[in-house]
Amino acid sequence: MSAPLSHLDLLEAESIHIFREAAAQFRKPVLMYSIGKDSTVLLHLARKAFFPEKPPFPLLHVDTTWKFREMIAFRNKTARDLGLDLIVHTNQDGLARGINPIDHAPSVYTDVMKTAALKQALDMHGFDAAFGGARRDEEASRAKERVFSFRAAGHRWDPRKQRPEMWRLLNGRLGSGETVRVFPLSNWTEKDVWRYLAREKLDVVPLYFAAERPTVERNGQLLVVDDERFKLEPGEHVEARRVRFRTLGCYPLTAAVASEASDIEGVVAETLAARTSERVGRLIDHDQSGAMEKKKQEGYF
Amino acid sequence: MTALTRIDEAGSTPLATASLNGILRVLTCGSVDDGKSTLIGRLLWDASDLFDDQRATLERGRRIDGGHPDYSLLVDGLVAEREQGITIDIAWRYFDTATRRFVVIDSPGHEQYTRNMASGASHADVAIMLVDARAGIKKQTRRHAAILDLVGLKRVVLAVNKMDLAGWSEPRFREIERDFQVIAARFHFDEAVAIPVSAALGDNVARPSDSMDWYRGPTLLSHLESLPSRGAEAAGPFRMPVQTVLRQGVDFRGLAGTVSSGVIHVGDPVVDPVSGRAANVKRIATFDGDLRRAAVGQAIVLQLDTDIDVSRGAILAAAEGRPHPARDLGTHLVWLSDTPFDTDNGYLLRTATDLVPVSAMEITSRLDLETLAEHPASTCAANDIVLARISLGRPTALDLFRNAGETGSFMLVDPISGATVAGGVVTELAGAEPKGARKAGVFVLSRDNLEGGLCADLGWGAADQVEFRRRANEVALLLSAAGIAVELDLQS
Ligand SMILES: Nc1nc2c(ncn2[C@@H]2O[C@H](COP(=O)(O)OP(=O)(O)OP(=O)(O)O)[C@@H](O)[C@H]2O)c(=O)[nH]1
Ligand SMILES: [Mg+2]
Repeated sequence: MSAPLSHLDLLEAESIHIFREAAAQFRKPVLMYSIGKDSTVLLHLARKAFFPEKPPFPLLHVDTTWKFREMIAFRNKTARDLGLDLIVHTNQDGLARGINPIDHAPSVYTDVMKTAALKQALDMHGFDAAFGGARRDEEASRAKERVFSFRAAGHRWDPRKQRPEMWRLLNGRLGSGETVRVFPLSNWTEKDVWRYLAREKLDVVPLYFAAERPTVERNGQLLVVDDERFKLEPGEHVEARRVRFRTLGCYPLTAAVASEASDIEGVVAETLAARTSERVGRLIDHDQSGAMEKKKQEGYF
Repeated sequence: MTALTRIDEAGSTPLATASLNGILRVLTCGSVDDGKSTLIGRLLWDASDLFDDQRATLERGRRIDGGHPDYSLLVDGLVAEREQGITIDIAWRYFDTATRRFVVIDSPGHEQYTRNMASGASHADVAIMLVDARAGIKKQTRRHAAILDLVGLKRVVLAVNKMDLAGWSEPRFREIERDFQVIAARFHFDEAVAIPVSAALGDNVARPSDSMDWYRGPTLLSHLESLPSRGAEAAGPFRMPVQTVLRQGVDFRGLAGTVSSGVIHVGDPVVDPVSGRAANVKRIATFDGDLRRAAVGQAIVLQLDTDIDVSRGAILAAAEGRPHPARDLGTHLVWLSDTPFDTDNGYLLRTATDLVPVSAMEITSRLDLETLAEHPASTCAANDIVLARISLGRPTALDLFRNAGETGSFMLVDPISGATVAGGVVTELAGAEPKGARKAGVFVLSRDNLEGGLCADLGWGAADQVEFRRRANEVALLLSAAGIAVELDLQS
């Protein structure tokens, strides 16, 4: 008898199963590629799921134009190295109206440049299913989500009307106007993601590793200055600190943490010992209570 | 290198990146307000690596009796749940002990949300059934027990909760324990341990109680830690439902799927039970290299030595004790839709990877939740647990649920809305008649009948073939409504 599968092996197999079910059941899927660690794992699992073929869907990146430069470089290199189709979509209307995370409230900016942009992209290409790297352990309303998460016309999520999902059976039959979000990493935790990145020796955006970076301290959070668009408030000054990111979102809405972990082993060790949750570094989530659920009802990923 | 040797090498990996040994999925269930979410919250609070910011948020929030934080807020994450103080949908929470991952699934007690409880139950390895010590076992408790039985759960823990409000009374605990033994025997639970707890105060949750010295058994947590991990006991004949076909060049046609039961080696024979065709496994391919052997739970790609034309929907199986090419099923199911069962509404049967039109369906009995007896019935509505006979428009491979769970369970799907209307298991199987031996008086609706006229506009693409099946099913439904016995034969 061989040893039973480890928990990472079980999670990997479950994700592969979900990818294959979705690709078989939906007409035109797309993989939401947000460049972060979860997307890296998601994409790696997609490659495993369809080996020896390439994943039978393109990648979609909703570019708010406020991503760190290293993220964009990593995105382009990944798509090129793997020979995958990459669709980059920006809400041109929002861009023309000058919506940005510095002058506008995080909720307004997120609505226009992320939520509305995503809906535009999905509608424009007629995707009926979108893979996302969301995990149930991220946040309280995510903990309630199904693997196949149905969205009514207009991409709305109604948490009171989720479809039953029993055993390993996945029912992907769409009603009229419905689309679906598919979450292969539903049962992964942040710790699993790092353990898996280490085990599979996957590259991630260097921002996840500690390095000297120009930072500004604001409301107890460490913000990294990525380009000249960052506006200093009175009394603030830029200081070099050794920091890294636990979660990567839009600059300057994602805060960094002080850290000495400059390689993947170090990050795994820090993650396993972490005392605060990763979303502490996400400024948009603190906007109001139940914020994530509200955003999701409106069609946020 | 195989996926399995990786584990044997785990000893040499740095501790920080080592994987855990297994997963145990724990469900809470029981009637509304009996304290399920509080219990899970308390377990997370006392025993898990909950983050400081999550603890601080809870400390700042509202208080329950006795000045404790409201632990249920750790799982009741929807705004409506927090406002109404009830659970609406299942919450999934994760925590690790030194060797294993615990997945905790907190389900709603309210009858209206039984479909969500059933979803959660089907994913669990062990269920904690809560009962309020003051009220004892209720109708909804029995309904949940019946659903645990239906989805195949054998391990149940009875947590007699709110012992603080019942004077920590041993006689009261024993009385409920006895009532529960009757239910456990009725539903053939292998293991039904009763533990007196106070979720709010934490007694016998993660630490032994100081108020109940008459109880000498384990705490809830130590009992859960003593249970085996999921999959550790898996055995049974080889099964792999085929999800999709993956190709490389002209030589490689791989059948992709997850092993749902048993073990497969290179060289082993496999059969497709519906066509009866057999072949041997030539390669077990994965992204990380070929394997010599794969076992239950592994996602693989099988290449066979001869092309036997199987594709999505088929099950590859060991020749001995193979699944049935089933047309007529006896089933045990829970109705999940708010719209009652309707004989005129066509349904689709979703199996592991197949989607088959139901040509006829008849409810035979319904479970009475007061007496736990089956009564003859022909109708069923939301949350009813019934026995039903289902005839399929074409044969598909199925197992008896008790022999092979994953290939013996199904969901019923409404073809128009796509909604999942029921979840069930196969309890009896009758096969297809061999080809050519059709019963007299049965009209066979074949691919040829449909291709020329009704479906002349459809091609061979996947979407067109879905539409083809939909139309075939609609025609079959109309004919049977007009009193003509029909059989679908859509093989090309
Ligand atoms: N005194 C006392 N109160 C408790 C105990 N456990 C739960 N409660 C209270 O009982 C009420 C219901 O608790 P919940 O945990 O929300 O119950 P539930 O079973 O999750 O309810 P649903 O999910 O809506 O079915 C709350 O007011 C709790 O504070 C206990 O052990 N002792
Ligand atoms: Mg609850």
